[in-house]
Amino acid sequence: MSAGPVVKKIMDAYKGKVRLVIKNYPYKYRDYAHIAAEASLAAGDQGKYWEMHDLLLKNSPKLDRESLIKYAKELGLDLTAFTASIDGKKHAAEIEKDKQLAVGMDLYTTPTYFVNGRKVVGNRPYEYLKQIIDEELKNVTK
Amino acid sequence: MSRNNRGFEGPGVQGAKGLRRQDYFFSAMIFCAVCLMICVAEAGHLEPFKSVPVPKNNPQTPEKIELGKKLFFDRRLSGDGTTSCADCHIPEQAYTDGQDISLNYPTTKNWRNSQTLINAAFYKNLFHDGRVKTLEDQALFPMMSAFEMNQNLDFLEEEIRVVPEYAEAFKKVFNGEPSRERIAMAIAAFERTLISVNAPYDRFLKGDGSAISEDAKKGFEIFNGKGKCADCHDGVNLSDDKFYALHVPENPVLLNDPRVTATMRFVAKVYHYKDYRNLKEDPGRYLITKDKKDWKAFRTPTLREIAKTGPYMHNGVLATLDEVIDFFNAGGGKGNRYLKPLGLSDKERKQLKAFLVEALTGEELKISYPEVP
Repeated sequence: MSAGPVVKKIMDAYKGKVRLVIKNYPYKYRDYAHIAAEASLAAGDQGKYWEMHDLLLKNSPKLDRESLIKYAKELGLDLTAFTASIDGKKHAAEIEKDKQLAVGMDLYTTPTYFVNGRKVVGNRPYEYLKQIIDEELKNVTK
Repeated sequence: MSRNNRGFEGPGVQGAKGLRRQDYFFSAMIFCAVCLMICVAEAGHLEPFKSVPVPKNNPQTPEKIELGKKLFFDRRLSGDGTTSCADCHIPEQAYTDGQDISLNYPTTKNWRNSQTLINAAFYKNLFHDGRVKTLEDQALFPMMSAFEMNQNLDFLEEEIRVVPEYAEAFKKVFNGEPSRERIAMAIAAFERTLISVNAPYDRFLKGDGSAISEDAKKGFEIFNGKGKCADCHDGVNLSDDKFYALHVPENPVLLNDPRVTATMRFVAKVYHYKDYRNLKEDPGRYLITKDKKDWKAFRTPTLREIAKTGPYMHNGVLATLDEVIDFFNAGGGKGNRYLKPLGLSDKERKQLKAFLVEALTGEELKISYPEVP
């Protein structure tokens, strides 16, 4: 079980009701975690965040620069823009800001979810998150 | 030795003997709980909460408990500084992590469920496979484990020693400097404060017939009689501390997720199981004893606070109490030699669940978070 499919299922099931905000949290002792975060955001710039996200998880830990460019090619991305983005660390400031936010909140586990402020640490099945979301939606409509 | 509100019992004080059946009958008669008496005659030996066992060589003191609490929440205890004990034993989740398979050291996977620490003080066999006998011995295992906290204990000792607040606290508590043994002793002292108290079940056992609902009373009868739960879930902690191979289905991730498989093989290798690369199931206590009868055997867990401590079983494969009751009602897992189908009706299953949820949930365990130095 990984977070991606569960999150996508939630977004499908709760269209228009749930807003998804993703924060990056590359693990500090992984060689390619930061460049992989860059790659996902670079792909996102071209409208293919989830597609890249899925490829990264599928191919982890093969996440070196050349492999990332290969995945970008598989997705039909503009390779010049993609390569410039990851080489130039275009999203480094954004990623660093996310990391600082996590540390400031004393978070160290990925994934960690917040549903209207309710913290859920670690991977969870769809039904687990669904229950929390349903409770929160009920509170909103009260 | 004085007692605090969680009933600590120190050296020289008799441990909880519990109510003998005769005593119990007497008190039950006073409160006219006649139906209860009848079923207790069929049950294992059940005891209300009285006090927490404390080893003579590690008496409880407020300073030691506070030090243990700080260490419990300190991420220095993990190799990469990301993980504290509280990550897999989250206070708000009844000191479990609420996952089927426990959380893990980053980039690795665990393979078993994170047990609640509530009432762990009562166990004489710690971990699902009972590999250690005391909380003091238990505390160091996850720190060393490659897939849990992955810390080097020699390094940890130095990390703790250079923190002035810790150096001072260890001197005050132990009259010495930080060491792995003392770290474990302090954490164990903190863990002995995590006790389920004042559950309706305790009041009921002491004779308060109004402590639980009629459904829960029926559930209690089933617990002691037709359901045979009390055959193993007995004593003050509702655990006989013994090991049984109930043939709980394997969690599919054991073989589906290569990282979980790697963890299983690693543990088996550490315990000198020769064919560890071809393992297809969790060998349970067999890895510790190498005794055939212990193949896939796991220790009976406490049922105190059971409503809050799912998912259930050693591998979290049963998500809800309903699933657990169905598992036992069906006679356990295929090929097991301990359980037979119980033939509980839908109504009886609901009543049993009512007892487990309603009666065994104690007072909320409040915690003030420490300031980790």
